[in-house]
Amino acid sequence: MSLFLLTLGFGIVTSAVLALAAVGLSLQFGVTNYVNFAYGSFLAFGMFFTYTAQTALHLPIWLAAVIGVVATGLVAVVVDALVLEPFVRRGTSGFFLLIVTFGLSLILLNLVQAIWGVGFDEFQVAAGNPVNIGPFSFTAAQIWVVGIAVVTMVAVHLLLTRTNLGKSMRAMSDNAPLARATGIDTRKVTLWTWFISGCLAGLGGITLAFNTVEFQAFTGNTFLFVIFAAVILGGIGQIYGAMIGAIIIGLVVNFAGLVISSAYDLDAAFAVLVLVLVIRPQGIIPTIGKA
Amino acid sequence: MSGSSPAPQPAARPAPQPAGQKVVDEILEVHDLVRSFGGVRALTGCSFGVERGSITALIGPNGAGKTTLVNVVAGAIRPQGGKVLFDGRDITGRPSHEVALGGLIRTFQISREYPAMTVLENLMVSPQRQAGEKLATVLFRPGKFRAEERAHVQRAVEVLAEFGLYGKRNDYARALSGGQKRLLELARAVMADPKMLVLDEPMAGINPALIERLADHISRLRDERGTTFLMVEHNLDVVEKMCDRAIVMAVGQTLATGTMAELRGNSEVVSAYLTGGVVEVGAKG
Amino acid sequence: MGVVLGYIATLGVYFCTYNIFALGLNIQFGYAGILDFTVITFMAMGGYMAGVASLGPSQPGSGIYYILGLSLPWPLALLIGAAAAGALGYAVGLIALRRLRSDYLAIVTLAAGSIVLGIVGNSNGLFDGFEGLVGVPQPFAGVLNLSPNSYTLFFLGMCAVIMVICWLVANRIYNSPLGRTMRAIREDLDVAEAYGKRTFRVRMTAMVTGCVFVGIGGVLTIWFITALAPAGWGTSETFVVWAALIVGGRGNNLGAVVGSFLVAVLFNEATRFLPAIPSFPSLIPEIRNMCIGALVILTLWFRPQGVIGERKARFFEVPLRTDSLDLAPAPAAASTN
Repeated sequence: MSLFLLTLGFGIVTSAVLALAAVGLSLQFGVTNYVNFAYGSFLAFGMFFTYTAQTALHLPIWLAAVIGVVATGLVAVVVDALVLEPFVRRGTSGFFLLIVTFGLSLILLNLVQAIWGVGFDEFQVAAGNPVNIGPFSFTAAQIWVVGIAVVTMVAVHLLLTRTNLGKSMRAMSDNAPLARATGIDTRKVTLWTWFISGCLAGLGGITLAFNTVEFQAFTGNTFLFVIFAAVILGGIGQIYGAMIGAIIIGLVVNFAGLVISSAYDLDAAFAVLVLVLVIRPQGIIPTIGKA
Repeated sequence: MSGSSPAPQPAARPAPQPAGQKVVDEILEVHDLVRSFGGVRALTGCSFGVERGSITALIGPNGAGKTTLVNVVAGAIRPQGGKVLFDGRDITGRPSHEVALGGLIRTFQISREYPAMTVLENLMVSPQRQAGEKLATVLFRPGKFRAEERAHVQRAVEVLAEFGLYGKRNDYARALSGGQKRLLELARAVMADPKMLVLDEPMAGINPALIERLADHISRLRDERGTTFLMVEHNLDVVEKMCDRAIVMAVGQTLATGTMAELRGNSEVVSAYLTGGVVEVGAKG
Repeated sequence: MGVVLGYIATLGVYFCTYNIFALGLNIQFGYAGILDFTVITFMAMGGYMAGVASLGPSQPGSGIYYILGLSLPWPLALLIGAAAAGALGYAVGLIALRRLRSDYLAIVTLAAGSIVLGIVGNSNGLFDGFEGLVGVPQPFAGVLNLSPNSYTLFFLGMCAVIMVICWLVANRIYNSPLGRTMRAIREDLDVAEAYGKRTFRVRMTAMVTGCVFVGIGGVLTIWFITALAPAGWGTSETFVVWAALIVGGRGNNLGAVVGSFLVAVLFNEATRFLPAIPSFPSLIPEIRNMCIGALVILTLWFRPQGVIGERKARFFEVPLRTDSLDLAPAPAAASTN
């Protein structure tokens, strides 16, 4: 019983990490209508910017994390403006955009590794005593992770529903040509989308690093298809779907680790991905009008 | 329902054909098709028949469900209810390629050539059940399809000549003009040797001279090959000139069928469509 | 002299194996438009299965564990390796080739790749986990008794023969109605389907054939280096094959050949022999990977069709009789859209 609760607790934390990363990926996917295979490297940037800010600049972890998040957002903007946007404007088909992002992931991951090395690093945070909430027992870092995720999800919700930018993003996600025709500055919205997507990836990377304790350049990338699983389960470009998908996948991964073996926990995410693609490829919340 | 009948009634069915009455030979029969997307009801019980060897128009205001109907008939979308019979076979919900192999070929609203293939190649894809499409044959018995291939090339060249595209045969299809792409679409369909062609707005966005040419081609194909045509068309002059009958759709249903002359006398049709008046399209906003 | 020759022969072998990978990927992507982002997984499957088919039974107590251990002669091992890669391709295709968006297809292949990597690495009884297989017997090595350099030359000849056969097969498929249908599906799947093409089956044929090619390349790889471990087949290795195809020219087998030479041999393998910088041992591979990524992106920007683009198909035509020839100029631009 306590093992069940322990796993449930871990599942909630994994879900929180996944939700941050999945919402960022899904947001960009929805607005630009192509997948970013370099997203795993954004997670790495988030981790290492924060790491450098903490260890080299001796900043407190929260400030280092803020810097890491914003810097990752800027990396995403640069990547989009310098590489992807020119291809999009030229009318390159989705096929080749995927290959371009695939190439970008190779470049960026190796760049991270060249700068920060191949070894494992970890954030310097005091371990602290476990905190008991109801039947669960969390470390302080885990509570932070869940808290950050909840606050961020609310913030994303408010962004999408209350701000002009968010409404424009949703409009582009529904129908980009129509959005352009109604006078939305799609270029600006796209850049903002990449910034927010990068920030969320950075945040996802940092929380992932908290969760795994040790991390290296490819830690985020091995997590990438788990993020994809959550995004596809939720339905392409469906932000709230991605949140639900993240919770489901997060729990599945942890319980599979409990029931089968922790070496195969990611395989459980793959199994869910396959199941979704076979039974309900449009995701649990389908996008109307998008194949 | 079915279990409530206490005694068998052997004499009741099948219903005998009324003797002596001329039965119209319908190549395509559509019965009570229903299909909705989300909350939008695109088809709400659509029924009609298309006579073999006819050129039949499918008309109706925007949002009447014409393209959905074409998609359902061609197997691209599954209906939620109803039946489609083609050439005596039930093809309801069958996948597109099966419908096509049965002899019903559809074209798309926008020209969708294979852009990075030559015009001639575009035609060479069309012949169905090519021997050289099987891997084992390609690898181990290449002689088996050589003659067939040569025949296809010859036929493709002839069809291109018929459509005035012979000079363009070695150009990439993407390099054709919009009008030429329309001709290619039709030529490519002819290469598949269909019993019936379903054309989704073949005349949309092309100039009057080309409309005439396409209309001539369609009439000629019907006369020479006996191909049946069902075409979604907005241009009523075209319909009047070249179509034997028209089916009027509105709000996902068949409103009326008949010749254009008959339809002009139908007040319901006139108010719904022919006068150009705006029609209530129900659930579809 | 012998060293230089051996070095060139080694590069020659890499050229052959990468060329076979690139041809396999060309059948999948260049012909049929299938985004296979895990090419190297099928290489590994082919290599491993050929390895365990030709190795003797796993000795308990040796610390090396693997399945089968059939001690089969090399032709059978080659067949088993190729078939295993094809079977894995079929399994991945069953999920990925359903009528889904092309991004999903890419995601599924990528995910399948990391799953296979995880399973192979984590289960010691399959192919000895992350340690991998070692001491895989080389064809004819025991019979010929050649010096290592001479054997490399001999092996190069063997690879060249297999490569040429693969090349001929790939070309025959390209020029056949099957290849034409694959390209039509690449251009527009819905239209091909509407013209009666069994798109799932045709794409599956391309997927499996491509995987068999890659598997054959994998068998040659494990024979050449006599060992294979999961560390050797990451995403970056897959990308080298992609780079070879994109740079050389997708859809054109000659392009695949040129690309394999430029990217896989000149760029990737030749730089492996550069001396490592002692304090940063991984820096050279990292820079190489970045350059390969950049090379692909720059190629797609400046020369999307690659060095040698896809050629127009030409058919042998009997000239038409002039009287049936409609040489009237086809209508000029008539579209308003």
